[in-house]
Amino acid sequence: MHRRSFVRLLAAAPLARSFQVRSDTPALRVVSSYSPAATPGMPGRHPGHVVSVTSDRSVDTSTGAAHDDIVREMMARGMRALTGAGTTADAWRRFVEPSDVVGIKVNCGGYPHCVSAYEIVADVVRQLIGIGVPVSNIYVYERFQNQLDEVNYVPHLPHGVQIVAAERANRNVDNSGYDPATYLEAEFFGEEDTRSNMMRLVTRRLTKIINIPNMKDHGATGVTGCLKNIAYGSFSNVARTHQRGKSHTLSVVGALAAMEPLRSRTVLQIMDGLRGVWHGGPFARTTRYVFYPRQIMFATDPVAIDRLLLDIIEKERRAHGAMSIWDRSPGSLRMDDTRARDADPNVNIIIREPGHVEYAATLGLGVYDRARITVKELTV
Amino acid sequence: MTGVLLFVLSLPCVYDPAGIVGRATLGAAGIERLCTEADLARREALPAPGTTARAGLASPTRIPWIVANGWRFTRQPGTKYVYDVPAGTAALAAAEAFAYGADAALRIDPADVQSLGEMLRFLQALPSVDLPAVSDLAIVDDGSATTGEVMNLLARRNLLFEVVTAPSPRFRINITIGDPEYPREEAADPSAFALKIRRRLTDDQRALRVYGSEVVIGRLTADSGRARLHLINYGRREIEGLRIRLRGVYSGGVAHVAGAGPQPLQDRVVESGATEFSIPRLTSYAVIDLVAEPKR
Repeated sequence: MHRRSFVRLLAAAPLARSFQVRSDTPALRVVSSYSPAATPGMPGRHPGHVVSVTSDRSVDTSTGAAHDDIVREMMARGMRALTGAGTTADAWRRFVEPSDVVGIKVNCGGYPHCVSAYEIVADVVRQLIGIGVPVSNIYVYERFQNQLDEVNYVPHLPHGVQIVAAERANRNVDNSGYDPATYLEAEFFGEEDTRSNMMRLVTRRLTKIINIPNMKDHGATGVTGCLKNIAYGSFSNVARTHQRGKSHTLSVVGALAAMEPLRSRTVLQIMDGLRGVWHGGPFARTTRYVFYPRQIMFATDPVAIDRLLLDIIEKERRAHGAMSIWDRSPGSLRMDDTRARDADPNVNIIIREPGHVEYAATLGLGVYDRARITVKELTV
Repeated sequence: MTGVLLFVLSLPCVYDPAGIVGRATLGAAGIERLCTEADLARREALPAPGTTARAGLASPTRIPWIVANGWRFTRQPGTKYVYDVPAGTAALAAAEAFAYGADAALRIDPADVQSLGEMLRFLQALPSVDLPAVSDLAIVDDGSATTGEVMNLLARRNLLFEVVTAPSPRFRINITIGDPEYPREEAADPSAFALKIRRRLTDDQRALRVYGSEVVIGRLTADSGRARLHLINYGRREIEGLRIRLRGVYSGGVAHVAGAGPQPLQDRVVESGATEFSIPRLTSYAVIDLVAEPKR
């Protein structure tokens, strides 16, 4: 379906809520007419619970190629372990009904070396069709069409799966793919356009969302995992939150993820850690900073996965002698100098805010305390 | 608050040095108003409107630097102007001058004849409306370059101002550069200064807000019964789904979009004494005519 063809009628009158977390964070105003579900998808049915499936055979690290049959097995085992279901199909039925319209939020920003794996996305689609979701009710989505075009999921998916973006590219000229009545309003750096609107696809069409982020470092948030992928990947005009060395992502990532209906409809987190990026993220234009965790994590709780991700990226950076994602020293800051950042893993272009994960927990999005997170580890 | 400055809307004239393009070609393109060399000599030169990158100030990918002349027209409405514009900008220049009712001449690149002709035909076909400008604040003009640059930055931020010779009781905010409240040294950074004024005014109290672009400047005119909003897109790309918020309650309206014809206003919402709507498509220029709801 083309993005313009979504119903344009406004929902009920929007409700506004303003809040400010701390005196050093900007005031945020949330406007949405959507009510939360009885059990919102985030943190969902399994707060603080993560299943981690690892397979050394999942990726050929010499070529970066994934092995489809191994990935399928990892997916099946992970889903069954997360839900306790006896069959893979039953595991999927815990989250999705045949009448659902399902969005699969992929991550294409790390093209060509680290994007939501074709094998994982294809398996999700296969399982959804298997439990009776019509293929035309399955949407693979991202914000930017040019990124989807580059990654090109089409040859890997059954005919009829909808592949949808809100904007042609990151140019701040296509607003029609966003819902004018559902937005977060805040002024960060004196910008005129103070709104970030949720995608119309999310508000008007989808009933369930499956989030497939990657294990990546991020120059403004420390890591980009479940929270960042679903939040910054479903709203317009979000790059404005971080510039000139300063990042407001501490509060904004969680605030966006907590907005309805996104929070209620995002029912499953599948962290694609077949490949990862330990520096220079969210991009992966070279293999220099790519690593291979060969791992997939499953949860309904995005905070719990991202809490683990913080340690994974930190550990990998430490192994390469790179500065911590928690480092806030001004001496390592080369403001907006992406070339310097790409050349040297001890350069920050912005003071990172890995604390966004903990902050999201305060909004009820999941469990941050590592001692309260249970991880079930499986090997294939 | 509504200002008292009235502009006579007029179409710019076009200068064709030594008949390079030729009256017939210009006429065929719909360009009828031609000006002479003598006309140009008495006019103040204007920079070509558009966007540009300025190191350390803005970038084309984030918030581009807008070159716009509306603040000049507002400051000196009686002055005659001339644009000497490179290819690709004549239509935008014509729209800008029209939006502010400026008396402007255009020295254009022959490659722009067609696009300029189309813009002039569009402007000519617009319903004739003559309404006073709406302003949120007043700025006392001391004639200085600093004050001019502050006006420029206010206009770029869609902070609607009226130029006055002395503080006016009609406005809650009167800016006199050099007053203790608005020190001259603060005005030396006009961008930060404009932001300070914006925060003092508050976004909720602004007559006009534009969402979905950082390169669209509006000029709002209104009386108690209707309003006309001019939207000038200084970027090079069309914009889809631009969102507008106007203080006041408006029941209906239409967007006349250059090159795209009449467009419906979409997703209209009235809340907290303001009206919001989206424009499906904005090329380089649009005029939106609105009807005010009677006050109860």
